[in-house]
Amino acid sequence: MNIVETRRLTKQYGGHVVAVRDLNLNVRQGEVYGFLGPNGAGKTTTLRMLVGLIKPTTGTASVAGAAPGTHQSLARLGAMVESPAFWPYLSGRDNLRLLARYCRISDRRVGLVLDEVEMSQRAHRAFGTYSTGMKQRLGVAAALLKDPQLLILDEPTNGLDPQGMAEFRDLIKRLGQGDRTVLLSSHLLGEVEQICTRVGVISQGRLVAEGTIEEIRGGAQLIVRAAPVEKAHAILVGSLGESRVALRDDGSFSLDVGSEQTASIASHLVKSGLELTELRPSERSLEEVFMELTGSESGA
Amino acid sequence: MILAAVRAEWFKIVRRPAVSVTIGLFLLLEVGIGYLITYLVATHPPANPGQAGENFANLRASLYPNSFVLKSISNANTLGGIFALILGVLVQGSEYGWETVKTAQTQLPGRLTILAGRLLAVAFVIALMTVGLFLLDAIASDAFAAIDGKAASFPPWVDIAKGIGADWLIFAFAATFGFALATLFRQSAMAIGIGLGYVLVIEGLIFGLLGQLGDTVKQVHTWFPAANAQYLTQAFGSVQGVFSLATNGRQDADATHAVVALSLWVIGLIVLSGALVRVRDVK
Repeated sequence: MNIVETRRLTKQYGGHVVAVRDLNLNVRQGEVYGFLGPNGAGKTTTLRMLVGLIKPTTGTASVAGAAPGTHQSLARLGAMVESPAFWPYLSGRDNLRLLARYCRISDRRVGLVLDEVEMSQRAHRAFGTYSTGMKQRLGVAAALLKDPQLLILDEPTNGLDPQGMAEFRDLIKRLGQGDRTVLLSSHLLGEVEQICTRVGVISQGRLVAEGTIEEIRGGAQLIVRAAPVEKAHAILVGSLGESRVALRDDGSFSLDVGSEQTASIASHLVKSGLELTELRPSERSLEEVFMELTGSESGA
Repeated sequence: MILAAVRAEWFKIVRRPAVSVTIGLFLLLEVGIGYLITYLVATHPPANPGQAGENFANLRASLYPNSFVLKSISNANTLGGIFALILGVLVQGSEYGWETVKTAQTQLPGRLTILAGRLLAVAFVIALMTVGLFLLDAIASDAFAAIDGKAASFPPWVDIAKGIGADWLIFAFAATFGFALATLFRQSAMAIGIGLGYVLVIEGLIFGLLGQLGDTVKQVHTWFPAANAQYLTQAFGSVQGVFSLATNGRQDADATHAVVALSLWVIGLIVLSGALVRVRDVK
């Protein structure tokens, strides 16, 4: 069951700038979904549409079973879109107490979410004095206040140092356990690869791929190097079929077969009198796929 | 949800130092300029005041309790409108500056409910500001009457209540004007600049020049806000203040007309703010 579903969602500014075009997004209940794309691809615009901050030009969206921005939808989602924004003169705790009043939530819940993001000790300080990491944590705490089914986090590790990023990844993994769905946007491939169960890749406002990381990367392959090359090619094509054998630029072969065939292929080549110098499994990295799909440099 | 929104907005406003400073500064200036400086001027006339001596005596008498409603209205007209406008701008404009618009609007109450809660919280704040102004003026006038050995005779309660109501309406207009400008421009600086420019100069200048064209223009002017703020205060006696710049001291409409016109302006500005908040994207 999809907790977020968009159909041909489009946002156009000023008649000619299309930020998001015909987006069909499917986020399933209970998963940690990575919304991946280079800077300016349309990730934040999409998330803003999903939480009701901006209205789509055309297309539809259903978020937690209702139209974005409606009471029914907002009641089930918590969001941190772009940088966390709070009232700078209030303490972290008072900022959450304020949001709790908007949503008719007891102050006791404020203490619980502060504990969850490990901010209780620093919650008495004014938000204006917080470091980037503390602001991000408070942003997540605010998003958790309604104990939402759906948590939308827009580039939550932006501006954090490596240690902060690692801590934050652990936090998001923890939050994504159980029935809660996390929709996480990022341009950091390593982050998405570590945290997410499924990903959607957006480029220039269009969704160019969606699936599990394995699906996105494609199947595993075997790399074989054997001499003489011509004889090796003939033997491999003869036993596997032409469509599953590709000769690479460096003279090795890329075989579209599972790793369970490694031993039999090695044995066959050696018995045929070939000199086998390399035999290893190969997976395309998510970065390679990402760059292929988006035609851009990744932030990984 | 409206009560939840009011509670949240009130929580925010009462903890904000800028709001306390704005109201505190207004009340300080109110007593400082309206009473202390006036008393110093009134008690230190020139050696040979001539006919102006009577003015100094009237000035001193204006500080006593029987004149305190008129005095409060006069001082509110001069200073209060400006501070109420700043208050309205601060409450709404800062939300855009801090980008907390998006934080608030992804909570439960919804855009218009939050707006209504914020406006009601502002209404409470300016009600406190108005009552504070009258209270302070009553105490100050009583104190100066005591210093001069005069009897403390306050105006009837009805007049005091009317004065408080009139002041609140003028403040409400100024605050919603600032609020609407901040919503329109999505910032504070431009809203304060244009708001003060309008109240202090623009309306008076435009109708001062167009007034030469005849009575039709004057009739049109009787529906403009600065003019009506002045008509309302003048209903309590001869009052000069910031808003009087708009009418050049003329009384072209009565208090009832002024109450209706100002109320329509307040409603119109709230509707404008609501439409902008409802329709526009939060970027």
